[in-house]
Amino acid sequence: MTAQPTLSLDEISTGDELMFERGEKNEAFKILRREAPVRWNPGNEEVKGWWDITKYEDVLYVSRNPERFISSEGIVMFEPRDPEMRLQAANGNGKMLITMDPPRHVMLRRLVNKGFTPRAVRAMEGHIREITRDLLDDIAPKGKCDFVIDVASQLPLAVICEMMGLEKQDWPLMFQLTNKVLGAGDPEYQTDVPEDQRGTNDAARLTGNMGTMGMFGFFAQQLEARKAHRRGDLISILVDSEIEGEKLTDEDLLWFCFLLILAGNETTRNAISGGLMTLCEHPAERARLQADMSLLPAAIEEILRWVSPVTHMARIATEDSEIRGQKIAKGDRVVMWYPSVNRDEDIFPEPERFDITRSPNDHLAFGIGEHFCLGAGFARLELRVMFEELFARLPDIQMDGPVERLRSTFIGGIKHLPVRYTPA
Amino acid sequence: MKVQVNRDMCEGHGKCQSAAPEIFELRDDEISYVLVDEVPAESVARVEAAIRLCPRQAISWVKEK
Repeated sequence: MTAQPTLSLDEISTGDELMFERGEKNEAFKILRREAPVRWNPGNEEVKGWWDITKYEDVLYVSRNPERFISSEGIVMFEPRDPEMRLQAANGNGKMLITMDPPRHVMLRRLVNKGFTPRAVRAMEGHIREITRDLLDDIAPKGKCDFVIDVASQLPLAVICEMMGLEKQDWPLMFQLTNKVLGAGDPEYQTDVPEDQRGTNDAARLTGNMGTMGMFGFFAQQLEARKAHRRGDLISILVDSEIEGEKLTDEDLLWFCFLLILAGNETTRNAISGGLMTLCEHPAERARLQADMSLLPAAIEEILRWVSPVTHMARIATEDSEIRGQKIAKGDRVVMWYPSVNRDEDIFPEPERFDITRSPNDHLAFGIGEHFCLGAGFARLELRVMFEELFARLPDIQMDGPVERLRSTFIGGIKHLPVRYTPA
Repeated sequence: MKVQVNRDMCEGHGKCQSAAPEIFELRDDEISYVLVDEVPAESVARVEAAIRLCPRQAISWVKEK
């Protein structure tokens, strides 16, 4: 972040994945907030333009008006100009909770939300602690590991896979396919493409499609198995669910599984690894926390604010409106940037200071309103249990080499985080 | 002024109860209930905070006819 102190507004495009991979987004958003808080990006020959929304109050406004700013025509920034490409990219629009509008969104969400309430989450704490301890048992004697691969990715993966009733032997496949879908633009995951052709838009499209098809093939089998024998897991509950007297179609069910597995394992992974990295980079705050672990819940909120694992959500305007003096036309795409609003100087005093006791800390890392993250309670619990167990077991854990970030404008991902510690 | 909680939206986060415990109560069904018919003047600011903080934006003033 400090390597690029002289970015200028003209040089900044939020469509530049490499800016995110290099870790320069916070610097860029600071300039956008100051100089062009609601800014039209014209896109390019391949993708349509969009509005960058970088101020907290404006993201609140958009989030609070889900009829005026809808989700069912796409939630990511890039919208292909080519109608054929558009069909390909948009085929999940309107079919998942995350790409659905009220009133159906409310009905569909109510099928599962009792499994995510504070009480449901609390009931899982013991089990989540067991999983965490097992993971730490595996790495503790080694003295070093890749924290993302060995720890941060494994806990959320285990939790969501168990909730969905997936066999342990299938978990690595879920990890792999998740990376292909959400990391489609990153050459590391473009393994279906010859090495010399990686890093292109075509490679990203192919990788994303391979990941999606792989997921659908896998979950089609899972659905068949649940239809033959219910198991009391989330998939079985969905198979039996009805909305207004009608069962969900197989297509509905497949998209539901697709969303649950992605949302459940990619985001918390990055909050955990981003959290450890941030604590390593702020030794005084880390020492304060390790001296008094009762500060952890507030520290987790600050980690969420600081890391903001999901970088954006897009909406489409259904009518003409005005945001901060800019005319938003019906049909325009607006993109809400969570890492930016979580460092908005008008809301957070000294936003560039990582303060584990910050209060109030009303960050929007989980969004707000109609589409508020369903799994927020699990994310917070997994983070708390992870840092409690990690610092009890490996209190001197430190970064051991450079972090490798995901090339993505959508997920603030960390692919690899080498760490070392005194073997225990 | 009257305040209401949309039961279809509420998911029991309890932010409203923390902001205005004299107005909102999270009950056993993990849904927030409004305890008063009329919000007294001294609670209005706290209810405003609850409306703003609710993760699901499930709380609103009842519009006067």
